[in-house]
Amino acid sequence: MKFLGFIVVCLTGTLLLYGTGEFPDWGDPDSPASIHLSNYYIEKAVEETQVPNLVTAVLADYRGFDTMFETAVVFCAGLACFLLLRDFREKKERFYRHTPTRVILHVKDSKKVLKTGKEFEHMDKDWVPSDLIIRTVCRILIPFIQIYALYVVAHGDFSPGGGFQGGVIFGSSLILLAISYDLKTLVRRIKEKVLGIYAALGVLIYVGIGAICMAMGGNFLDYSKLVPIVPGDPHHIRALGMLGVEIGVGIAVTAAMVIIYINIVSEGKHDEGL
Amino acid sequence: MDILVVLFLITGLFFFLGGAVGIIRMPDFYSRLHPAGKLDTLGIFAMVTGLAIYNLHHFSLEALLLSIKMFLIVFFVFLSSPTATHSIVDAGMRAGLRHWTKKKRKG
Repeated sequence: MKFLGFIVVCLTGTLLLYGTGEFPDWGDPDSPASIHLSNYYIEKAVEETQVPNLVTAVLADYRGFDTMFETAVVFCAGLACFLLLRDFREKKERFYRHTPTRVILHVKDSKKVLKTGKEFEHMDKDWVPSDLIIRTVCRILIPFIQIYALYVVAHGDFSPGGGFQGGVIFGSSLILLAISYDLKTLVRRIKEKVLGIYAALGVLIYVGIGAICMAMGGNFLDYSKLVPIVPGDPHHIRALGMLGVEIGVGIAVTAAMVIIYINIVSEGKHDEGL
Repeated sequence: MDILVVLFLITGLFFFLGGAVGIIRMPDFYSRLHPAGKLDTLGIFAMVTGLAIYNLHHFSLEALLLSIKMFLIVFFVFLSSPTATHSIVDAGMRAGLRHWTKKKRKG
């Protein structure tokens, strides 16, 4: 069976390599992309979309369909991590510290859960708590990182940035919380259900904007059809549509990042880890 | 004004040079982190101060705002760079990496 798989992989690889021979060379001025597409984007994009950032105009407007499925890929990655790794069984053993005496208790019975609080303190088997310095600095920095992430999302159509980058920055600020405090803090702050809903909501916002455009009588993701329902300058309607789409992307990427991180570090248990 | 800018930039370059030499020449992990954490932070402070002053050549509200934003960069580097160094050293200690000592030659 393994041998058969090997042959299939080799054949597919050969076919793919054979296919690349037909591609135009790198930077070939006579390739179809250079003759028709690039010139059109460079000449007409700013005029048509009123968005100063060409890259965003191409990604979120001309090739909006492509970007929509990229978002769906990120969502699927989060979903796959959840489905493969999430483990709802109770953890078998737990460690507690009796605070006054500093005695460490090793509880092997999974049904016996000690109440943490004044008397007992939960202990993480694999992870040592960070210093006061690290915790304090991270606590100071996290809000600024999140504001910066929102800035990157909001300025996606004017300067480099956008939903993917902003979402990754926002997600990493949440991961920083998990690293500097512990995983329990993060899971307590953001419930697993909320994360799942956000990941789906982000994709839904993107698809929803496209569907609204269709309902208004245009093509899928044709933002110019949104003029009657969006207040503001009608010339900037494409920029506003892109902003809405980018917000959806940002939400989806943030949630997917955190889902992936939590599931991987805690081996699906969501209680302790790195 | 220009002299001040050049002075700050040269100071920053000096610290960066010291940091680079330190990272290469220091004997072990911990002592290498020492120049990486300290000199780079101070070097960035001096460089950005010089650039912020240079930016105020033609004084206007926008230029002032830009300079303040530059100092925000310095502020965050001041917070995060030493903390990152600290946590790396902490991780090294926990992983059990021994620090460097001057070995005595036997016989």
